[in-house]
Amino acid sequence: MPLNLHQTGPAIALLATGAVAVTASFWIPLDYDGSMGARVFPLISAGVLILLGGLMLRPVKADEEAEASHAGIPAGPLMLLALVVFYLWLIGKLGYLISTGLVTPVALWLFGIRNPAGLAVAALTAPFTFHLIFFEALGVFPPYGAWFDLLDLIGG
Amino acid sequence: MDIFIGLANVLMDPIILAWVFAAAIVGMIVGAIPGLTASAAIAMLVPLTYYMEPLSALAFLYVIGKSGRYGGSIAAILFNTPGTAASAATQLDGYPLAQKGQASKAMKVATISSVIGDLFGEIVLIVGIAWIAALALLLGPPDLFAIYLTAFVVIGSVIGKSVLKGLASAALGIVIKMVGLDPITGADRFTFGITELMDGVSLVPLMIGIFVLAEVFEQVAKRSNPIEIVNEPDDQTARDGNRLTWVEFRPCLPHILRSSVIGTVIGMLPGLGSTIAAFVAYGEGKRRAKNPEAWGKGALEGVAAPEAANNAVSGPSMAPLLTLGIPGSTIGAILVGVFLIHGIQIGPTLFVTSRELIYSLFACGLIGIVMYGLIGYFGAAYVGRFIARVPTDILYPIIMLTSVMSAYVSRGSLFDVGVMILFGIVGWGMKRFDFNPAAFVISFVLAGGAEEAFRQSLRLSDAGILIFITRPIALAFLLIGVFVLLSRIRSLRARPVNAALDDA
Repeated sequence: MPLNLHQTGPAIALLATGAVAVTASFWIPLDYDGSMGARVFPLISAGVLILLGGLMLRPVKADEEAEASHAGIPAGPLMLLALVVFYLWLIGKLGYLISTGLVTPVALWLFGIRNPAGLAVAALTAPFTFHLIFFEALGVFPPYGAWFDLLDLIGG
Repeated sequence: MDIFIGLANVLMDPIILAWVFAAAIVGMIVGAIPGLTASAAIAMLVPLTYYMEPLSALAFLYVIGKSGRYGGSIAAILFNTPGTAASAATQLDGYPLAQKGQASKAMKVATISSVIGDLFGEIVLIVGIAWIAALALLLGPPDLFAIYLTAFVVIGSVIGKSVLKGLASAALGIVIKMVGLDPITGADRFTFGITELMDGVSLVPLMIGIFVLAEVFEQVAKRSNPIEIVNEPDDQTARDGNRLTWVEFRPCLPHILRSSVIGTVIGMLPGLGSTIAAFVAYGEGKRRAKNPEAWGKGALEGVAAPEAANNAVSGPSMAPLLTLGIPGSTIGAILVGVFLIHGIQIGPTLFVTSRELIYSLFACGLIGIVMYGLIGYFGAAYVGRFIARVPTDILYPIIMLTSVMSAYVSRGSLFDVGVMILFGIVGWGMKRFDFNPAAFVISFVLAGGAEEAFRQSLRLSDAGILIFITRPIALAFLLIGVFVLLSRIRSLRARPVNAALDDA
């Protein structure tokens, strides 16, 4: 019987996570009386993860294999993931106003918006709308840009 | 008696009423947008509630959950796409009715059924919860741990295509919860030297990632077609045909009452949720119907049964949460965080320390049901038309940007945004590989209490882990867990079940 490809990838991920967690569990200091106290629960849960990951690697019946989807990973989510990671990095460097202005049109483009005027309007309105809601109305201290922050200039 | 005081408090406070009203509308709209669930909306809105009074915050989120469950029926009937997993059963008869030009009639039946089911569940909760809380006070740590363990097994194994993947989702949630300082000894666990992890993985960014960002990834993958609404003819004959008469509604009543009971019972069990309730009620209704041949082709009873059941789940699902601290649904799991943020300790003592708040929350629930009922009865078609005009290619980028801001606002930390992104990937992967994100989140929330109960039990015991089988209540719950697991494995071998817990 073949391995179910739909299960193999996640099973390996579970095994790896479990193995890291089991190893890290042994770094947890013992209690003052020498008992395993703080270690027990992490160790058991990581062990269960390894057990379940191992069971998922078992060969499966052909009908289970047929049921599983083998569609590849689409490009859209990966591009969006790259964008959101870049957005996080950019906020730390340029503050959220400029980064939101840069990222908003790209996000809209990824979702199929192609109107240049619409993208330009979104690039201008989105940062200020979020600024008003989150940082003016709620009074949260905005993330500071390490390289440059527009708020330093406009005194927000 | 407490509920009348709660009702009076809420009705005399226009600010709370305004929040409940806003929640009724927000929930209905969010529930009706295919792909967006009430859980996602609540996760995204939690940071906003930090700045609200505890009752307003809890009522706002609680009523969004109720109204969101109902809102799913609008999409199911008008767009042939269930707004939430729980409304998929409504679609079976709701959409055929819309195709016959009777969408308004179907939505009126869905509204009345949802309101009756929701009120039934809420009243059972109000009447019964004090007793459950009193019983919960008698439970010791070993009993509590057995209940937690059973909840992990039930939540992980009962729903979804695969028991293994469900249980793995639950186990992963527990492992992630172990990150941070040990609550008893203060020992460093799974932090790998990262200072920001000392406080553990924060619940809010985790939930925003799992429920919101993961859905944005899913939507960009689908780049779904624009929503198409069924257009009703607008002449006098069509209006007459859409008028719901007592003769038409009367056969629905027994189904509504039976389904309300089904939803209430299922709601009390952690993890099962409204999707299961709706399908069980639909199946049971069809089995007992006088016109089973009409079900699936546009029977009003086929709309009434699942709608009453999926909304009846809402109130009772709060019972394990408020009395034991065990959330029965994803919305419950989010509410745990909101209670903690406002310094309210959930569990049996909640009815001693915050009795007025809890009954006021129930009162908000009752008022919220009436509000979404009225808005839905007279305005569901307008909500449907409004949603059909919302371009999803603009909506989801806005949601992505909002989720980044919401994750940041929760603790004013960009690290939390990184956590949100990480769990967005995890959540999306879970969806693609048929894991159970809801089991992951609920287990994450439960794990802290479970560990505390486990370690307290071992300290109480001279017999080590045997304490869990020498106490009758603990043993009973452990046996329930084993029974549920075995019966689930058996039922899967006999008949694959394809259900989801998207909005349990």
